[in-house]
Amino acid sequence: MLTRLLFPVIFTGATLLLSGCGQEEEKETSTLKMWVAPNITQETFWGGVIRDWNAIPGNPKIEFTAIPVAGSSEEAIMNALASGTEPDISTNIFIGFATQLAGQGLLTNFSTLAGYDALVATRKMEPFTKAWEINGENYVIPIYVSPIVYWWRGDLLKKLGIDHIPVTYEEVYSLSEKNVAAGGHYSMQVTAGKNWWDRWFDFVPLYYAASGNKPYFNNDRAEFNNPAGLEVLTFIQKMFLNKWSSYDFTSADDPLVTSDVIGAVRGPWDITRYREQYPEILNTIRIGPMLTATGRAAPATMADSKGLVLFNSSDKKEEAWKFIQWVYSNPKYDVKWLEATNMPPAREDLLTNPLFSAYLENNPLAKEIISYVNRATPPAATTRTIDVQRSMTQMIERTIFENASPAQALQKSADEINHAQGK
Amino acid sequence: MFRLTIKESSLGGLLASTYLGYSLVFWLYPFLWLGVLSFTDWQFIGLPTFSGLKNCVAVLHDPLFWKAMKNVFLFLFYYLPIVLSASLLFAFGLRRIKYGKAFIALSFLLANVSSGVAYSIVFSKLFSEYGPITLFLQAHLGMTVPWFTAPDVAMISIALIVTWKFVGYYGLIFYSGLIAIPKEIYDAAALDQTGPIKRLFRLTLPLMNAQIVMVLVLAISVAFALFTEPYLITGGGPLDSTTTPMVVMYEAAFRRMQPGWAATMSIFVAAFSFSLIWLVRRSLEKNIEKV
Repeated sequence: MLTRLLFPVIFTGATLLLSGCGQEEEKETSTLKMWVAPNITQETFWGGVIRDWNAIPGNPKIEFTAIPVAGSSEEAIMNALASGTEPDISTNIFIGFATQLAGQGLLTNFSTLAGYDALVATRKMEPFTKAWEINGENYVIPIYVSPIVYWWRGDLLKKLGIDHIPVTYEEVYSLSEKNVAAGGHYSMQVTAGKNWWDRWFDFVPLYYAASGNKPYFNNDRAEFNNPAGLEVLTFIQKMFLNKWSSYDFTSADDPLVTSDVIGAVRGPWDITRYREQYPEILNTIRIGPMLTATGRAAPATMADSKGLVLFNSSDKKEEAWKFIQWVYSNPKYDVKWLEATNMPPAREDLLTNPLFSAYLENNPLAKEIISYVNRATPPAATTRTIDVQRSMTQMIERTIFENASPAQALQKSADEINHAQGK
Repeated sequence: MFRLTIKESSLGGLLASTYLGYSLVFWLYPFLWLGVLSFTDWQFIGLPTFSGLKNCVAVLHDPLFWKAMKNVFLFLFYYLPIVLSASLLFAFGLRRIKYGKAFIALSFLLANVSSGVAYSIVFSKLFSEYGPITLFLQAHLGMTVPWFTAPDVAMISIALIVTWKFVGYYGLIFYSGLIAIPKEIYDAAALDQTGPIKRLFRLTLPLMNAQIVMVLVLAISVAFALFTEPYLITGGGPLDSTTTPMVVMYEAAFRRMQPGWAATMSIFVAAFSFSLIWLVRRSLEKNIEKV
């Protein structure tokens, strides 16, 4: 009886096992695979682009999907690379990750491909490809460049009798004193958060502004232990010691919306969110540059920038390159990108090219943010982004929680980074 | 007619083979791979290259590893008394409830099956500077607690959140131990005029030894596996005060692309974890006969 029962069980089990293992999806060799950033706006944009491409007779078909769900896009891509399931093309690559991938020989060097220089010229993206160079080579096509700027609540500034946007540390101190005198509490969201990646939105852009766009990490060494770094860290510490800022804003509701602060770093991606959720607040927003000690003219800032890569493992590089050239040589798609995301495409003619005028005339905030694009620099091209920015986080926290002097904190952080490199 | 005969032992082996196969694929293979990674350099791509004890030395010399280990013990220092007393209270309370016992038990258990990401966001809002808890304390006690922004307090806050998650689960384990204690023992204690405190410490808790040890073992495992709450709420800060081994290993493997280093650290973490569990069991576990 038992054996009679056993056979169907074994048979069913074996069938299930074999069907599970055996039906490995056969890769359609004629189809290009592309991964895009996992958010609805970008998926919609790329959906439209790829529909247009696939509609052109003779073009190899492209399938796109959002980068699979994982802790981060980088993790998903690494897992795919380890298991040989990576796509041909992927977007949403930041410079530190690109440096890691390029260091392992996983990325195609675009500058060696025929037509690259023409594409750079056509898209007018030379300054950006230059900023994205990794060891003098171009492994990434920059998609967008979002300059980090301050958003100030014009209505709250006006209430305090301030008619211009603060550009120096002193102006912020004075504004903060006025705010407290008027019964307010905090004046600025100085730090963006507690994670290492938040340094892209506070210390790094402020350092670029203070130093005149000097690198904070170069030749595998920390370069921010200098007067510019000291200026920035002193400013940050002073804001916290005087209780003009809080380290807890990120976990609370947006303090710029709730009027708990007058100024904070926000990105162009926030325009859509504010437009949908807080249109009245959006109407009061005025854009300001990174703060400096002297109010330096046109100070530099950091570019939150992501790009597109072509994996070396692709057996359809030629077709993929053809697609990339097709997308980025047609400004129509950059216009669509800007309309969909509000994030400035990586091209230097955004304010002069009439194709973008219609959109920018109706979106003065986006237009103002775009005016910062040409002085926005991406973060350091290093494989040690986490070490460096984790140390920066500790540096800021030492000045806030341990009352360490900015000079000591800078020294300790630079030593940590350089010592870790020595190891 | 051909008739297949099969020995009972072979049949047993055959039926167990599914589980054995599963274990081979999902336990033994990763385990062996972990061993390989610990002694090699590998960055997800290509073949690992032998690096001897380099990863071991690197992990043991990394202050972040020691900080994360120290944080586990700090977490346990806060977590164990809070979660044990809360779970015991839950179990005692549940025993006294006459109606809706299952509903209450399930309500508490719901926390245990909630998404870590979801409740981390909820708690970060609740405990934030403008959150209801902070505002309530400010209004009624005039005190401001920097739940996640002070290095000395952040780990206590994490311990409170994890307690919320596990209090129902541990409470039910305690409850099962509590209702298994024969009533006659309490009757005898009543005849001896044993007071409630003495009854708790001399009777109830010793008779719940198996459940207490089990909860301790589970709690230690939770401490070494802590990830979502510190990663999402505090990012391991401030000043690395909430960095846990899992956060460090995750960042090493998937952000720094050093899976070998992370694998080596995981072996050390497992060794610490098993040693602590062994120590707890050896010092606290007793064979209690209730009848």
